Amino acid sequence: MTERIVVVGFGPVAARLVDELLPAVQSGLAHLTVVGEEAEAAYNRVLVADLGVGRTTASALALSDAAALIADGVDVRLGVRVRRVDRARQQLVLSDGTSPGYDRLVFATGSRPVIPNLTGLNPDPAAPVLPAGVTALRDLRDASVLHAAVAGGKRVVVLGGGVLGLETALAAAEEGATVTVVHNGPHPLGRNIDRGGGAVLAASLRNCGVRVAGNARSTGVEHNAPDGGFSALLLDDGSAIDGDLLVLSCGVRPRTELAEGCGLSTGAGILVDHKLRAHHEPHIFAIGDCAEVRCPEPDCTECRTARGPSGLVGPGWRQAEWLAEYLTLLASGAPDAELLQALPPELPGVVVLKARGMNMAVAGDVSADPWDEEALTAGAVNGRARLQIAQWADPEHGRYVKMTTRAGVLEGLVAVGMPRTGAELVQLFERGAELPADRSLLLRLDGPDQAAAAGAADPERTVCRCAGVSGTKIAAAVTDGCGTVAEVSGATRAGTGCGGCHDDIKGLIEKHFQGAVA
Amino acid sequence: MTNGADTHCPYCALQCAMTLTTPAALTPASRPGSAPVPEQPAAALLDVAGRDFPTNRGGLCRKGWTSASLLNHPGRVTEPLLKGADGVHRPIGWDEALERITTAVKSTRARHGADAVGVFGGGGLTNEKAYQLGKFARLALGTSRIDYNGRFCMSSAAAAGMRAFGLDRGLPFPLEDLDSASTILMLGSNVAETMPPFVQHLQGARDAGGLIVVDPRRSATAAFTSDGGGLHLQPLPGTDLALLLGLAHVVIHEGLADAGYIAARTAGYDAVVRSVAAYWPERVQSLTGVPAVLIRDTARRLADGSRRGGSYILTGRGVEQHVDGTDTATAAINLSLLLGLPGSARSGYGTLTGQGNGQGGREHGQKADQLPGYRKITDPAARAHMAEVWGVPESLIPGPGLPAVQLLKSLGQPDGVRCLFVHGANVAVSAPDANAVIAGLRSLDFLVVCDFFLSETAAEADLILPVTQWAEEEGTLTNLEGRVLRRRRALAPPPGVRSELWIMTRLAEALDAPSMFSEDPETVFEELRLASSGGLADYSGIDYAMLDRGEAAYWPYPAGSTGTPRLFLDSFAHADGRAVLTPVTPRRRAASASDAADAADRAGKPMTLITGRLMEHYQSGAQTRRVAALAAAQPEARLQIHPAAAAAQGIAEGDVVSISNGRGEVSCRAELSTDIRPETVFLPFHFPELESANRLTEAATDPISGMPEFKFSKVWVKPGAANLRANELQKEGAS
Repeated sequence: MTERIVVVGFGPVAARLVDELLPAVQSGLAHLTVVGEEAEAAYNRVLVADLGVGRTTASALALSDAAALIADGVDVRLGVRVRRVDRARQQLVLSDGTSPGYDRLVFATGSRPVIPNLTGLNPDPAAPVLPAGVTALRDLRDASVLHAAVAGGKRVVVLGGGVLGLETALAAAEEGATVTVVHNGPHPLGRNIDRGGGAVLAASLRNCGVRVAGNARSTGVEHNAPDGGFSALLLDDGSAIDGDLLVLSCGVRPRTELAEGCGLSTGAGILVDHKLRAHHEPHIFAIGDCAEVRCPEPDCTECRTARGPSGLVGPGWRQAEWLAEYLTLLASGAPDAELLQALPPELPGVVVLKARGMNMAVAGDVSADPWDEEALTAGAVNGRARLQIAQWADPEHGRYVKMTTRAGVLEGLVAVGMPRTGAELVQLFERGAELPADRSLLLRLDGPDQAAAAGAADPERTVCRCAGVSGTKIAAAVTDGCGTVAEVSGATRAGTGCGGCHDDIKGLIEKHFQGAVA
Repeated sequence: MTNGADTHCPYCALQCAMTLTTPAALTPASRPGSAPVPEQPAAALLDVAGRDFPTNRGGLCRKGWTSASLLNHPGRVTEPLLKGADGVHRPIGWDEALERITTAVKSTRARHGADAVGVFGGGGLTNEKAYQLGKFARLALGTSRIDYNGRFCMSSAAAAGMRAFGLDRGLPFPLEDLDSASTILMLGSNVAETMPPFVQHLQGARDAGGLIVVDPRRSATAAFTSDGGGLHLQPLPGTDLALLLGLAHVVIHEGLADAGYIAARTAGYDAVVRSVAAYWPERVQSLTGVPAVLIRDTARRLADGSRRGGSYILTGRGVEQHVDGTDTATAAINLSLLLGLPGSARSGYGTLTGQGNGQGGREHGQKADQLPGYRKITDPAARAHMAEVWGVPESLIPGPGLPAVQLLKSLGQPDGVRCLFVHGANVAVSAPDANAVIAGLRSLDFLVVCDFFLSETAAEADLILPVTQWAEEEGTLTNLEGRVLRRRRALAPPPGVRSELWIMTRLAEALDAPSMFSEDPETVFEELRLASSGGLADYSGIDYAMLDRGEAAYWPYPAGSTGTPRLFLDSFAHADGRAVLTPVTPRRRAASASDAADAADRAGKPMTLITGRLMEHYQSGAQTRRVAALAAAQPEARLQIHPAAAAAQGIAEGDVVSISNGRGEVSCRAELSTDIRPETVFLPFHFPELESANRLTEAATDPISGMPEFKFSKVWVKPGAANLRANELQKEGAS
């Protein structure tokens, strides 16, 4: 029997799920319907800021091709909303008037931008009608609003010092816009980064031409532009930051209302167990930004370290791949479907700033400092290896690294202005690998190339690797009368392979004759 | 008789030109035989000198310089050797040898069918031998079970090249074209060790600061990028595909793609755009460990280079010898197509062929799925053509057989191969999961190995047939550029030694084979010309006389043409003339059952083992380990390990370590080096027995090419000697 699978939402996570389910569709195991509210098939939201500053094109963002999917037998509904879910009948009521039934329903509804509580903005999350000159940055239309401002040389105010806000600000500044980032707290990325890293980060942002207004509490927006649009962001100290476009970058909130409407349990997101099944509802699943993995049984070991939705796309993609495999097994009636190993719990998210002019990676808990009591206490603490913190700061040159480890394994990291070190630390963090005891080895990755072999002065050193000829042998050939590289090659075969040592041979010849003169 | 000849090196696909001459004062060598190794090796029978040629420009590496010492090596096999009931090999005459083979083949065929007889060939065989071996298998033995060690070498790049371009020639341009390039991206290739004279062609890019080497190790080639020579990208093993998708992402999103070229010369662009949209540089950094800034820089240098002196993308075994090797090579080709490199006058994509005749060896019928001329064995037109050339009914030509790994897995199995011929290969060392392969060889009813030494595979044979070495024979090879070269005889072989062409001809007679077999290389080549005519790899316009005049003959070379030094200048080899962009993305790697069992059983975290070459050795080392100078320089396998990883295990420089997993165990000394990533260890694969790296590799294969996973094995590294008991048990079980 063909299993009817319906996916609600057609963002990046849904796209991955659909791709992974294609073999089941093509083999007739499953009939797949995907319902997307936007007019476009899935595209890469991570790059919406890049699109907004004119760095890439909408066509390059595409992740799915509706026509190709339809040709493969997928029922693709674009520009269609789900009005409600009728769990009793196992069917959906859609805005196009149809009511498709389902055997398995997957929520991949993602999240929506948080609209801050400011005078002059309508805070209703269900009906976010933003005034002219104010935009979030979530979809293609938002990108086109930003693009018009950047292309027109307007002043852009970014509200929010999170990753997306910083990436937008950097990209817009690099493309020539005048940009101010407004954030509360002493430094940007306050939720993720420690004080030292935050300070170096803020300085680096300024070096990249971004104005940074910290410790700012915004209270309202002013609409005094000639077209009645945005003109300034008002702060609680009575000051105002003038601009032509306000980009709201205040985080996202899972879209759970449809699930709530049909009686499913929700917390921060739609509550699912570690097999991504909605609580007490074996026919419904949720993945990506809208899902919160936490079993109904409070003592479930698989969900011990579960957290709310991360807002990052990586975990959603892993869920999509896993769920596709699980749904395919279920559809094929495989008796061992339940034996499929559950997804390992996600690590705390890694944030790598997506920017061209600067470089930053941060992950895990980085709040502890080297001089904290725990880090200085000898031995284990409460039976756990104690925290060890290594830190290096060079704010003048925009470089900062912190490695927070327990038993040599990273629990948190910060790397600003250190691209190779940052890349390596992120790897070590994700693999749970042990750091070298000498942590400075990692800093050296961003040093200059290692100096030429330390033993260069050793005459026994092999000069020609291809023929395996030592400096001593070459020197002997020179003493015996060889005065050119070709003659040395003839006598010793040195330099007859790749030719990379010709300069070294020349040097040995010169050294010999200099000695003779002196 | 005066000895000497202008020929080419016996080893790798660069096929360096060399001149062999008789030494002025030749002391007569001790008579070749299987005498114990004397104190002093006999003086070489021939002097070796580099010869000026566009590829090697007179250069040779240490392997080439010392190659003549094997001609009169005391360990050389010079008579057919039959294994007695006591397991000892003893000389027999050729007549008896051929008769025993004939009997064994007939008896296996009668009891188990023709497909119970198998042939395993090699990428070192001349074009003539490779061609006649395929014909011998299909017509004299009547079996479909033929494949060769090139499956471990070129199969992924070949499959990717066929899919993208409709044709697979390693370098579709002369090597000298690289000289003027501004940017060269080399992925998983360490030419400074594997073919040193090649490095001369990288000098231009190094001078331009444009040599970019992708390797998890700071290899000798990667070291050339220092001091302004270029960039070294050091990804985690097994993440090359993600890195290439990241590069393509930058090319597309930063507007670096060649839109005019893509529109005019390719198909499939939109799907590739969608497939790389999810691989932005910072995400790829997280997947690969390569900093985003270097990913962007590399993409820009490639685009910039293509507008100046030229940009080239070259792949090697490091990225191809994986279960996703075909997809990885495809991603490299996609990147080159997005930049408009292939088929342009001064840019391109190529794969660096490894074995001496790895190119020609894959064109003329040694592959399980192919007939001569790079024809598909399932194509009715190809079958009809070959039936006509061979003068046999089409129905006599068997269908497709099994690729190498599956062929070796079938040894001794019900419905598997029970009688095997091995030519120019040492599978006991070179095949993945070597312990299982050795067990397979021991379970055969009859094993015939043609070799000049008692290689680890020959040691398992019921019958060893001594064959000629390179300096003792005539023939042709096709180098890594697709240029056909002449191998020439410089001296007579020892009296008891025969050429493989002679052996096949005699056996074909004894087995009453149809068609014609010949022991004369030129006669075989003349037939190869006819056979290849009209195929992708068309040699019909090439003859010995032309090659002897020194003409540069690049295939396809149809009769009446002047050959093809540069392919694809006007169109690609697909029917519509366009190159095909195929979207590829990393698949989830399913952990193998044995790896999963291991992880549950063992304490500590596994490391990632990668394997590769040393400059002093070639392939399984069957030849180079017997050259005194090379063996002295690299006498044993050493495990390259990062000092930080070594310190964590209490391993010091030179300590004996055990490297193990569920498939086997290796024991060797450790060599501490910061040139390798801390979670990765490296073993050379040239050594046998307790030092055999392929005891640890897995026989999992690429679904398209059949390439095994050589460069991504989970291993546990510990100080101390190997658990010898396990190996002893294995031997007991086998005997």
